[in-house]
Amino acid sequence: MRNITTGILRSVAICALAWGFGEANLFSQTNGRPNPAARPKTNDLYQLGPDSQYQREIPHGQVIKGRWSSTVYPGTQRDYWVYIPAQYKPEEEACLMVFQDGSSYQSTNASFRATIVYDNLIAKKELPITVVVFVNPGETPAAEPGKKGRSNRSYEYDSLGGEYTHFLVDEFLPAVLKDYKISKDPKKRGIGGISSGGICAFTVAWERPEEFGKVITQVGSFTNIRGGNAYPFLIRRSEKKPIKIFMQDGLADLNNLHGNWPLAAQEMDAALKFAKYEHQLVLGDGGHNGIHGGAILPESLKWLWSDVKP
Amino acid sequence: MKKITSFFGLVFAALNCLGQDLPLSGVLIPGEEWKVVAEGYGFTDAACADAEGNFYFSDVSKGQSIFKIDNQGKISDFVRNAPKISGLKFGADGKLYACQNGAKKVVSFEIPSGQMRVLAENVDPNDLVVTRKGYIYFTETSKKQVTLITPGGEVKAADTGIGKPNGIALSPDETTLAVSDYGGTNVWVMRIETDGSLKFKEPYMTARTAPGKSDASLDGMTTDTVGRYYVTTSLGVQIFDPTGRISGIILRPQNKSMVSAVFSGPGLHYLYVACGDKIYRRKTQAQGWVVTESQ
Repeated sequence: MRNITTGILRSVAICALAWGFGEANLFSQTNGRPNPAARPKTNDLYQLGPDSQYQREIPHGQVIKGRWSSTVYPGTQRDYWVYIPAQYKPEEEACLMVFQDGSSYQSTNASFRATIVYDNLIAKKELPITVVVFVNPGETPAAEPGKKGRSNRSYEYDSLGGEYTHFLVDEFLPAVLKDYKISKDPKKRGIGGISSGGICAFTVAWERPEEFGKVITQVGSFTNIRGGNAYPFLIRRSEKKPIKIFMQDGLADLNNLHGNWPLAAQEMDAALKFAKYEHQLVLGDGGHNGIHGGAILPESLKWLWSDVKP
Repeated sequence: MKKITSFFGLVFAALNCLGQDLPLSGVLIPGEEWKVVAEGYGFTDAACADAEGNFYFSDVSKGQSIFKIDNQGKISDFVRNAPKISGLKFGADGKLYACQNGAKKVVSFEIPSGQMRVLAENVDPNDLVVTRKGYIYFTETSKKQVTLITPGGEVKAADTGIGKPNGIALSPDETTLAVSDYGGTNVWVMRIETDGSLKFKEPYMTARTAPGKSDASLDGMTTDTVGRYYVTTSLGVQIFDPTGRISGIILRPQNKSMVSAVFSGPGLHYLYVACGDKIYRRKTQAQGWVVTESQ
């Protein structure tokens, strides 16, 4: 046990180093394989830039936390957070961004720190005034107190089809956004997520492109957990939908019984290119985590929203 | 030690959240294949284990007894005059509960006397589970119903609407009831309420089908201590992790109907299956979960 513990502590230390003291930003390595000779062995490359650091002197948005009981997914409950930027004006339509696995995106000391990024980029007028919704997957609590609930994450996120979209678009968002003036223009409405949350975000836009015209995914699970490997072929054969897509993945991402993540990302990239979608894949060296995706989140969002005037 | 354990828990939770899987390689052992442990029967079914790892089964087509295979591999008649049994489970009370599909009854047997008590009549039971609190759930495939026998003896519908409810299993914490649909591709889960009723049904697991088939012939099910579900299907034993994602498929030992599975044998580490005329088992890294009094 002692050896294992030491090993874990050592990897935590390495992770902490990777988190804080990296060197370069690999955002420039788009749509292809980075030069193997230049590739370092670890995640040391990816660090949070100044746009992901709290800046005291700028206006800061407000975050309201809530808990949602769903009827589309009966019995499930989930936490959510709504970020209202300081620049929001009730008389002017704001843009919308929705992150799945919201807890990890809204955290101010993890990989993404999205509320800090939005504070910074809205203040610099590099992103439009955007209300950001962070929503967790559902959990069905156990009937007996003290027992563990059942996670609904894979069922909600990995399943293709319109059930989660119906939950999000028809049930959840209208209620949590009822007090805010949000644009109905799909170009001004984006959705994103990591891993299964990534394919989930793509599914929502794919099912209802009139609701969401922008998608951002980090290490998206476009593999066969519940049939998501079908997307590249659906994209190639279907009439083009008005969706702009940013994807991040890493060559050290998962390779397991559901598929190979970096290969799946490249299949998606090739299919989106074939079908002439406006899209971008940043393929780095990272694994199945938010380190690279978090480091480039500000640049990713700026690219995704470059067609909307701040 | 407590700190270390909870740290492992956190690491595991974090990995699990980001899509790490529980693959087949975490269940199977290289070099350990299916081995015949009983043969010469008509149609084996009702795979069942006790906490000591003794294995029990029936021969639905021509057997007159519930058979027992002990840890030495010895096969004996455990309960005589018990034909056409399609499902067996031990309760926490030590009684053996059975679906007498032929006689249209759910019954219990006192152990070791074998004294039988009828718990439900004029039903069409296929398979069953018994919770530690003594709630009995059984599938009535023809009625599209999961039926509940309460500890007070009341028999009532607990769920209706699954196409061909067949296999049935409890999550190890007994918060969730899982039911396989023989005529479809899903294993449905429901939350077990404190009064035994079932709520919040969802097609949580989706089984793989053979090319060109619209169903997977989902049949008997069992669970391990990790919370994985093992479902017999036309393709093999399909394994699902506690979040409903497929973990892999263990191929059938022979090209015949495989209708029930359970972990038994030493340490409950052996996966036993009833497949046609034979009972097979193979050693695994997993450990089966059974209801016991002490939980």
